Amino acid sequence: MLMRRAATDAGRRDSNIMTSAAQHAEDTHAAAGHAADDHGGEAFDAGEVIIEHIANSPIDHPILHLPHLAGIDFSVTKHVMMLWLVAGFLFVVITLATRRFLAQERPIPAGFMNALEAVVQFVRDSMVLPNVGAKWVNRWTPLILTLFVFILTANAVGMIPIFEVFGLLDRFVLHTSEESLLNSVLHGGATTTANYNVTAALATITFFAIIVAGSLAHGFITHWKNLVPSGLAWPIYFLLIPIEVMGMFVKPFALTMRLAANMSGGHIAILAILSFVFIFNQQFESQLLGIGVGALVSVPLAVGVSALEIIVILVQAYVFTLLTSVFIGMAIHVHH
Amino acid sequence: MPDPNDPFLARSLQALQENVRRAGPAATAGYTLIGAILLLGGAGHLVDRWVGTAPWFLLAGLLTGMVVGFYELAKTIWKP
Repeated sequence: MLMRRAATDAGRRDSNIMTSAAQHAEDTHAAAGHAADDHGGEAFDAGEVIIEHIANSPIDHPILHLPHLAGIDFSVTKHVMMLWLVAGFLFVVITLATRRFLAQERPIPAGFMNALEAVVQFVRDSMVLPNVGAKWVNRWTPLILTLFVFILTANAVGMIPIFEVFGLLDRFVLHTSEESLLNSVLHGGATTTANYNVTAALATITFFAIIVAGSLAHGFITHWKNLVPSGLAWPIYFLLIPIEVMGMFVKPFALTMRLAANMSGGHIAILAILSFVFIFNQQFESQLLGIGVGALVSVPLAVGVSALEIIVILVQAYVFTLLTSVFIGMAIHVHH
Repeated sequence: MPDPNDPFLARSLQALQENVRRAGPAATAGYTLIGAILLLGGAGHLVDRWVGTAPWFLLAGLLTGMVVGFYELAKTIWKP
């Protein structure tokens, strides 16, 4: 609920910023008189454009209106829609592939199933098994695998310019109205894992998984006793217990920050580099210079950063899930 | 370690996997240090705003964050 409220607040703040920015743009427009018309529109604001492409769509203009329940607005924004799309896509594709494979007469995987099997085997044998141990590996592999596949797909969807293509189509071919569904889908970023609320929810799963893992392996009371080493002089415990309890919250918090920061960072870098085109065009009032900067600097650099992003997508999904299994393993195998 | 007889792409992927695997603990340590300072500093700031005792809880939070962060860092480095 707290996260939801934070999301609502953030959405409201975003829309406030946008409204004030729009007003500001209008004011400057009025002051400049006809001067702005010669350039064909309002001034380019790189910050505003970048935020618009990263942040969630404003909750004031949701994609789907839903009623308030217990004071929480359940309306579907862009990131919520992408979450459901990614989850639904994975559910359908993986279930279909697995069912088709199980229905085969000869159990030999082919094509997509082959890749899927490689991923499952990789997660089980090189992430979960070394950390969790042979006794618990089959219990924790499904959770880790779900996290891995979901984060990987959610990261990757942000790199596929689906909505940018829709935007082009809408602008030059379809010309839909401001209130149409297609138009409302175009606002906001598509990478759900760049939203701190999403990664915080994922890290909350990790947080509870650690407690459940420790409780299953040692019993609920012993799990909490295992937080601190036994047999130390008693004054040490006054220091150690608070530190360990705070450390318990810090670990998921670090997971939250790392995933969201890495995912939004790459996108901000690409957008900032591409903004050079419009900044140079506007600053020197020369379209040729803008195009030149775009062709020689922005596009090659953006391609390079995008290539780097593909690695980041894999590495971040890997690190999040690896650390989840490391923490689960630490709760099961207590070393002190 | 990658097998030199494998195709180029397979070797690249294996090298990436190996590097990521080895970088995992370092990534944990770095972000836990920053995460602890941010989380506890942020909590201190919120308490300050709530009670109106700025900047004392913020300072206490930042210091505790450093203690917790370095403790977790030490635990990662001196793993048995």
